[in-house]
Amino acid sequence: MQLEYYLIIGLILFLLGLYTCLTRVNAIGMLMGIELMLNAAGLNFVAFSHFNGNHIDGHIMAIFIIVLAAAEAVVALAVLLAIYKRFKVIDTDKVVTLKE
Amino acid sequence: MPNLASMSFFIPELILSAVALILFIFALVSDKAGKKGEYASVIAIAGLLASAVFVLKNFNIGSPPLFWGLLVLDKPAAFFKEIFIITALIVIIFSQRSNELRAGANDSAEYYSLLVGSVLGMNLLASANNLLMIYLALEFVSLMSFILVGFARGSSRSSEAALKYVLYGAVASGVFLYGASLYYGLTGTLDIKSFLTISPSPHLTISLAGLFILAGFLYKIAAVPMHAWCPDAYEGAPTPITAFLSVAPKAAGFAVLMRVFSAAGDGFNWPLIIAVISAATMTFGNLAAIPQTNVKRLLAYSSIAHAGYLLMGVASGTPRGAEAVYFYFAAYLVMNLGAFLVVQIIANTSPPLMGGDIGEGGRESLAAYKGLGRRGASGAILGITMTIFLLSLTGIPPFVGFIGKFYIFAAVMDAKLYWLAFIGIANSVVSLYYYMRIVKTIFFDEPADAVQPAFSSRRLAAILGVLSFATIFIGLYWQWLSNIVAAVIA
Amino acid sequence: MKGYFPLFLLLQTGMTGVFVALDFFLFYFFWEVMLLPMYFLIGIWGGPRREYAAIKFFLYTLVGSVMMLLVMIAFYFYSEGNTFNILTLMDQSVHIGPMTAHNFRLLCWLGLMIAFAIKVPVFPFHTWLPDAHVEAPTAISVILAGILLKMGTYGMIRFCYPIFPDITFEFAKWIAVFGMINIVYGALCAMAQKDFKRLIAYSSISHMGFCLLGMASFTNEGMNGAVLQMFNHGTITAQLFLIVGIIYDRVHHRDLEGFGGLAHIMPRYAVWTAIAFFAALGLPGLSGFISEALVFLGAFKMWPWYTAVSVSGVVLTAAYVLWTYQRVFLGKINEKYKNLPEISWRETVTLAPLALIVVILGVYPKAMLDIMNATLVGINQLFVK
Repeated sequence: MQLEYYLIIGLILFLLGLYTCLTRVNAIGMLMGIELMLNAAGLNFVAFSHFNGNHIDGHIMAIFIIVLAAAEAVVALAVLLAIYKRFKVIDTDKVVTLKE
Repeated sequence: MPNLASMSFFIPELILSAVALILFIFALVSDKAGKKGEYASVIAIAGLLASAVFVLKNFNIGSPPLFWGLLVLDKPAAFFKEIFIITALIVIIFSQRSNELRAGANDSAEYYSLLVGSVLGMNLLASANNLLMIYLALEFVSLMSFILVGFARGSSRSSEAALKYVLYGAVASGVFLYGASLYYGLTGTLDIKSFLTISPSPHLTISLAGLFILAGFLYKIAAVPMHAWCPDAYEGAPTPITAFLSVAPKAAGFAVLMRVFSAAGDGFNWPLIIAVISAATMTFGNLAAIPQTNVKRLLAYSSIAHAGYLLMGVASGTPRGAEAVYFYFAAYLVMNLGAFLVVQIIANTSPPLMGGDIGEGGRESLAAYKGLGRRGASGAILGITMTIFLLSLTGIPPFVGFIGKFYIFAAVMDAKLYWLAFIGIANSVVSLYYYMRIVKTIFFDEPADAVQPAFSSRRLAAILGVLSFATIFIGLYWQWLSNIVAAVIA
Repeated sequence: MKGYFPLFLLLQTGMTGVFVALDFFLFYFFWEVMLLPMYFLIGIWGGPRREYAAIKFFLYTLVGSVMMLLVMIAFYFYSEGNTFNILTLMDQSVHIGPMTAHNFRLLCWLGLMIAFAIKVPVFPFHTWLPDAHVEAPTAISVILAGILLKMGTYGMIRFCYPIFPDITFEFAKWIAVFGMINIVYGALCAMAQKDFKRLIAYSSISHMGFCLLGMASFTNEGMNGAVLQMFNHGTITAQLFLIVGIIYDRVHHRDLEGFGGLAHIMPRYAVWTAIAFFAALGLPGLSGFISEALVFLGAFKMWPWYTAVSVSGVVLTAAYVLWTYQRVFLGKINEKYKNLPEISWRETVTLAPLALIVVILGVYPKAMLDIMNATLVGINQLFVK
């Protein structure tokens, strides 16, 4: 397997994630998009470090990405719960009390 | 420097971590209902002060790389750390007497813990020297801020602000990470110094990586095009947190921005890109601030504009520019916190100066400031101090904001970015208009009723006095501050 | 009223500072400090449209002063020894780097010139002045006309002339042209006004035009005339604004058509007004004549055509001044105002010293000219090629 394949998959994942974030109004959907972006970066890191003689930095970075993605998801979901209790929806275009 | 040897230089951060954890435990075990928040805030203040002392102690030790180069302990980092700590100290005093936060008084120990934790994250960010460390610190600060923004649990707009902040923040960190991964692939290292080792020719991929990394930082400082979260998050957050966010994380963003993009060399012409972003940011911030009727939101846009002014200093790419940014941050801390403090006092006044809830037409709206200057002695004091802060934000002498702006413009002129200087002065004039709109409302309009605002506490009055005095005093006698800043550069 | 006097004193501080500062930074500092109290004085104690007038004044002046800020910074970087000292900067040999290049100098000169022109105010930048004057309380109008406007022309003589003699000489023609426009345009506008105070505001624009014309001549007569005109304008226009203030206090309007025959009701008031009016139209024997004559004398040598056109401004001035006098003081007595009280001693005390100065300088201008002649000849020396 060549490095390029990994990078292309990473790029596709990233773009899909970005696309999801930009087009979705459902906050859970956006969170999923964000996960895609983070995993794209993680994949890139692992791939680069594998083809760079198993350089350790990339692997470490990937592990941290997984951990932090989880932490971020926890905070985001907590906020979403609070939102849901109050607004009964989690669509970002309906949760509007602050004016544009 | 190996890990154990680094520890002795890491005391400020260790103290902060300890205090944050102690506060969490305190929140669990303490049963002093009602007084809990007060005790917690005292612990937090003590911890921050101790940390500040140790930061100062390490000021003059050169710049040793700690933990095998993950962190570096140079003077700019120390300066920014002091800025974070001072901001946090002032904000803690704001928080002690905030009605919005008192609603959730039961978990105020956690609140202070999060605040201290966020300072810890920013301290790490200011001295981070490695993309891994930068990412960790960035996320750490962000996570803390997300929770702080949504901390007023009784308020729907606080939750909404937190939601927007979280989603934007997560996207920004995703973009940043992807950039970091490209950077890692091209250089084979996460050390930011090696931006210099890549060939200076503008290679598409490395430029892309740089832009993505930059986007992550721009999100932290709320610069165009990563600014969209800022007005909503600032408006919805409890006012003390808004004040905190508008200064400390912004400073942290600048600290890391200046570290990364000064190490980047001039291979990719970052200064030009930053100059364009700076022009766009201040123009957007100022123009968008004009029609605002909520003072907090207006100040949010004004803080975007100020990010633009600060970026001018970065764009000049000279030591003089860095000096100007440092000076401006000290000035900005004083005047911006002061302005938010007045907003908080007005919003907390009961009976409210304007009937109704907090949002539209409520106690944060411009309508609540109508004739403030004529509402008795306390109204006049609030009106005058607000005027001082706003004029300082505009950059009118004899207030500290003018000196800050003067240094910024001097740096830009020195770097021969004349077009940027012109955009900057045009923006100063525009900003005068909307700041003066508040001043006009305070002094020229007739108050709707005879209610006088009340200082809910003596300590807020005292801190208001200190901030407005500092705004004038440093505006007249700034030499000592510029000496400090010069020492940071040296 | 509690805030009025502190603000007034702050204004005084700023103005004094501007005129005594020999350091560019300090000059700028006071220049800006003066804006604040003015904004509040107009905005709080002004007339019905005071908010608009106050912010307009503030914005216009700030546009000019931020340009001055940039030029100031440029001076700092492009002078040997990085100085803000105005006296040092007058020495052309300390200018270094781009400051020696023609186009850059032109840009700096223009920046300063516009900053000062807004303050004077010169023709396209003048619109803030009538608004500010009309809305400001009487005392503030007097200060505004008497001192603030001079900061502009003073600045030109203090900065543009000695620091950029080459550019000033090159563009003197335009200074003269704008002076001419100010004179004629101001007079024409004044003629069209129905509001007493607005009329005087426009006459003020017209009179400041004489300063510009005289300054553009680079002759001793012209320069002396210009500076003397600044002083005279200060005394004469101050009187005029006081006069408007006096009548406004009594009748609470300033509509020129609404008076008539006041000379019969308030004869002493009519006399004081006559002195000021005649001084304003340049009657020989009063100070306005001396300065205008000197300006024309000097300017004619350099710019005969512009001067010729400007002289028509004198005729126009006479026309609107006399017409105004006629409408207000002569003619049929307005029954409504039959019982207006005569001018009080307090009001007399404010007018008398100014009138005295006008008369003294009208017959013995040497008193002023001796003071300023040496300096102005020195400045003129820069332009003798």
